[in-house]
Amino acid sequence: MSSVIQQLSSPVMYLICGVIVAFVAVVCVVFAVRAWRAGKAIGMDLAVLRRVVTASASFSVLPAVGILLGVVALSGALGIPWPWLRLSVIGALHYETQVAEGAAEQVGIDLSASQMTVSAFTTIALLMSVCIMWGMVLNLFLNRKYTARLARPDAAGGASFGDQAMTAMFIGLVSVYIGSYLGQWISGGGRFTFSGSALPLLTALCAAAVMALLTLIAEKLRWKWLEDFSLALSMLAGMACAAVLNQIL
Amino acid sequence: MNREEILARYDRGTHRLGRLVSLITLVMLVGAPFLIGSVLGAMPDLGAAAHGFLAVGLVWTVSSVVEFLVYTPMLGSGGSYLAFITGNLINMKIPCAINARDLAGVKAGTRENEIVSTLSIAVSSLTTILVLALGVLLLQPLQPLLQSPELRPAFDQVVPALFGALAYKYYRKNLRLALWPLLLMSAVFILLPSLQSQTSILIIPAGGLAILLAWLAYRKGKKA
Repeated sequence: MSSVIQQLSSPVMYLICGVIVAFVAVVCVVFAVRAWRAGKAIGMDLAVLRRVVTASASFSVLPAVGILLGVVALSGALGIPWPWLRLSVIGALHYETQVAEGAAEQVGIDLSASQMTVSAFTTIALLMSVCIMWGMVLNLFLNRKYTARLARPDAAGGASFGDQAMTAMFIGLVSVYIGSYLGQWISGGGRFTFSGSALPLLTALCAAAVMALLTLIAEKLRWKWLEDFSLALSMLAGMACAAVLNQIL
Repeated sequence: MNREEILARYDRGTHRLGRLVSLITLVMLVGAPFLIGSVLGAMPDLGAAAHGFLAVGLVWTVSSVVEFLVYTPMLGSGGSYLAFITGNLINMKIPCAINARDLAGVKAGTRENEIVSTLSIAVSSLTTILVLALGVLLLQPLQPLLQSPELRPAFDQVVPALFGALAYKYYRKNLRLALWPLLLMSAVFILLPSLQSQTSILIIPAGGLAILLAWLAYRKGKKA
């Protein structure tokens, strides 16, 4: 194991990240207790609240295991504690990898253990925090006004284009990366020479094929639970494919 | 105390607590890289971070604004504070809150929904924290294996694996919308190979094009 990755998985890293995770866990307990007490005080059925608790816990176990696989995927380049913190608190599987990759690019390295330095790591970690904090910032300043406005009888039913805009933005984002893998293969070793690395493109194709298969299975068999795993399993299949293809190519 | 008084008091407390914990979490998350840097002896490169933010962060800023506007009405104030602190909104918190709402038989926008979604997101987050903590305990002994030369190419290709899976997920229902951004970006990277190390700067034009196309389709659909 490289010494940088050893440092990034050292006890002090676990302590720093663990304190933040523990703080957020306490916040969750406080919010849960307040909500339970308010529900009880206004006469909500306690049996219903109990069902909400058990259903939410059981609903979350499977996606949480999927998120754990995301920690595995990121731990290769960033050690275990930081991905554990990011995916326990604030982060999201699709966000973390993409921002970590973009940040690594800015410090002039690939997101891999062989090129990672402590300085690169702290810069990547800072960028990962800053890029995703805006939801919390907006909540800090606007939640009260926004929810009060929504409570008014004349409030509109929500931003109908918002969902589509978000989907479109992700399509743009995905297109940049898929286009770059195609470009890397076709022109990576010289324009139109087809001598660049095909590994990223083949990895992406493999992951997409597994995602298609899992989606098909989930829809045909109505296995809703499989959807919780499909992204993480497709990523792992793509990565496994990369390890095999690396030996062949 | 009557129902309205209880709820008004609950609301005031939620906002006070929500803002306080959001602020503390923000300080801890942004401060952690500096603390780690001081312990390990290498502080973050602020210049590179600023460049990175312009290249990658602006997209996520727009995404955060949209998420805040779209999800806050669904979750209510308490659920929203908690969801944005704990993350994993689309893949976990939103479906979990909607599931809890259906189960409890409450309607969006009601005070009961506010309570149910807050409870649901809090429990969901605690479950995630617990599962991940147990998982990480088990991961530590496996770390040498995960760093082995045979497995390293797999971890080096984690980003292509992610975007391959996401490409299928997003393209399958939006093929017409995806066509032009994909063709344009492929042409850019084929014709200008030097940009391959700067993929992040192309996210804004590609995202902008996709949003423009989506807006035109949306307007066309509204007129029809």
